[in-house]
Amino acid sequence: MTASLLVQSAVIGLSIGSIYILMALGLTLMFGMMHIINFAHGAVYMLGAYVIYYVFFQSGAPYFVSFVVAMVLLGVFGYLVERSIYRPVKGGIEPTLVALLALTTFLQAAGYPVFGQLDKHVPPVFEGTKNVLGVMVSVERLVIIPIAAALVVGLYLFINKTKMGAAMRAIEQDKEAAALQGVNVHVVNGLAFAIGFALAAASGALMAPIFKLDPMMGEQPLLKAFIIIILGGLGSIPGAIVGGLMLGLIDSIVATALGAEPAFLLSFVFIILVLLFKPTGLFGYAQ
Amino acid sequence: MPSKTPGQAPGKAIIAIVIAVLVLLALLVPPLGGDYYVHLLALVFTNVILAASLRPSLTCGQLNIGHSGFMSIGAYTSALLAKHFGLPFELSLLSGAIVAALVGVVIGYPALRLRGVYFAMVTVAFVEVIRLIAQIWVPLTRGMSGLSGVPKPNLLGITLTTKASQYYLALGLMLLILAILYKLERSRLGLIWRSIGMADPLAQSLGVNIAAHKLLAFMIGCFFAGVAGAFYAHFIRFLFPPEFGFLMATNILVYNYVGGRGHFVGAIVGAMFLSLLSEPFRGSAYETIFFSIAMLLTILFLPGGLITLPGKLAGLRSWRAASAPSPSPAG
Repeated sequence: MTASLLVQSAVIGLSIGSIYILMALGLTLMFGMMHIINFAHGAVYMLGAYVIYYVFFQSGAPYFVSFVVAMVLLGVFGYLVERSIYRPVKGGIEPTLVALLALTTFLQAAGYPVFGQLDKHVPPVFEGTKNVLGVMVSVERLVIIPIAAALVVGLYLFINKTKMGAAMRAIEQDKEAAALQGVNVHVVNGLAFAIGFALAAASGALMAPIFKLDPMMGEQPLLKAFIIIILGGLGSIPGAIVGGLMLGLIDSIVATALGAEPAFLLSFVFIILVLLFKPTGLFGYAQ
Repeated sequence: MPSKTPGQAPGKAIIAIVIAVLVLLALLVPPLGGDYYVHLLALVFTNVILAASLRPSLTCGQLNIGHSGFMSIGAYTSALLAKHFGLPFELSLLSGAIVAALVGVVIGYPALRLRGVYFAMVTVAFVEVIRLIAQIWVPLTRGMSGLSGVPKPNLLGITLTTKASQYYLALGLMLLILAILYKLERSRLGLIWRSIGMADPLAQSLGVNIAAHKLLAFMIGCFFAGVAGAFYAHFIRFLFPPEFGFLMATNILVYNYVGGRGHFVGAIVGAMFLSLLSEPFRGSAYETIFFSIAMLLTILFLPGGLITLPGKLAGLRSWRAASAPSPSPAG
């Protein structure tokens, strides 16, 4: 592998890693507060991509408007899922997981009759290539990095500087105590669902112009996000960021050298090793 | 007055009669029903084995979403051994099950140190890994072209050429496995599994070796999933990696939830009910849509599964009778 190929796959790894981080952040936020894993995250990613297809490509709205529409629509959807699935199950972790699993398979399967059997394509939004450290990388992939970074910073500020963010952190530490202090746990949980779904939609919307669209397209990013949050430790936001970058780089460099499937197998072996020696993940804490 | 209180367990004699009648009906399917029903029911029996084999794991509180991976291992092992080495069906089936159980130990040993969602996520990733291996190891599995020409099953050297004989094989396998799993669940071992599922720190404090028992339960499940896979391979005679993906694994879990996890019968009821009811949609997207809606409705409105439905209806009736101004003579 030549140096320029290495740089190129590192830059691409960084942009893929940014997508993984957006996926993993929502998952880890929801886990921290409610101790659930949103299996529907991949399906939401898929829906985000289809919003871009219909709003940007079919209706001709500007890309950034479609992007915001995707985040808002699916954020509202997330709030409704909390309202209609998580809340009625009353915090039962296992029934919630199974219900989210059912929601996932429903969205994926319903995707075929609703969106059609054939793969969809969104034309490129940002044309051309740019010179990075002496190698050419497509702008389409480069632009993902600052957008994802802005969303990450925004989430960080929201969680650490606002009152709602403080309520989220309070629930994460102790749900009962937070409720006693006047935090409306239902509403804040709903907000966490909305943020998680909106971030997944953003990832899908960013990838729409790069990959083909089909109802199962969310599976791979979902599995990657699982691997990242196991690696970084469930509930840990820094863990999700570092884990996402690591996996993005490993993925891209190993995939360039060996192929995509071996890269995935390798990351799975890596996970088993991490679990053997540090079951709470690299940044995790014992529950 | 109502003659029987809701929720009261029926006598052992009644259960025995019900089972005998059901088995008799199952035996009559090939001579009376057509090939279509024979084929369909043999697959339903496979699903029942899969659903029941997930129970040891579920009883221990493991949310296992990776069962189809072990089915796949059993299927490919048995099919390849029979196809390339001419191994008799009894041996290839057993090898498939043993290999599935061994892989179960290798994966289960690290994964079972994790509880709840961590474990569930690893099992999901495992399914994908097995599917990918089956897809990219083309010289062995033929990859996405699919493995065809799997020999028909044979017993004691006699090849079971007709669908009817294969149906009886499936029925026999299912009854045998159900009996074994039921005995296990009713034994001391099953009691330990339940204690782990309810409160594993407590079970541990009472001197139960949790790690070993969790692994044993997981391994037993993998073994029988391997058996189901092996039968499936020789019955359908064509293996295609995506068949054993995430969706199949979810379905096995859904059978248990929709049927009800409170009793052994739940897995059987769930697998039968869903496989038969989804038959008109088989192979289309609507099958999955049907499954997921059944699942969501069960979780939201009938958390105990279908097996709690008669009790609930009886409860509703007696509540109505009690709240009526004058008790109705019918009760």
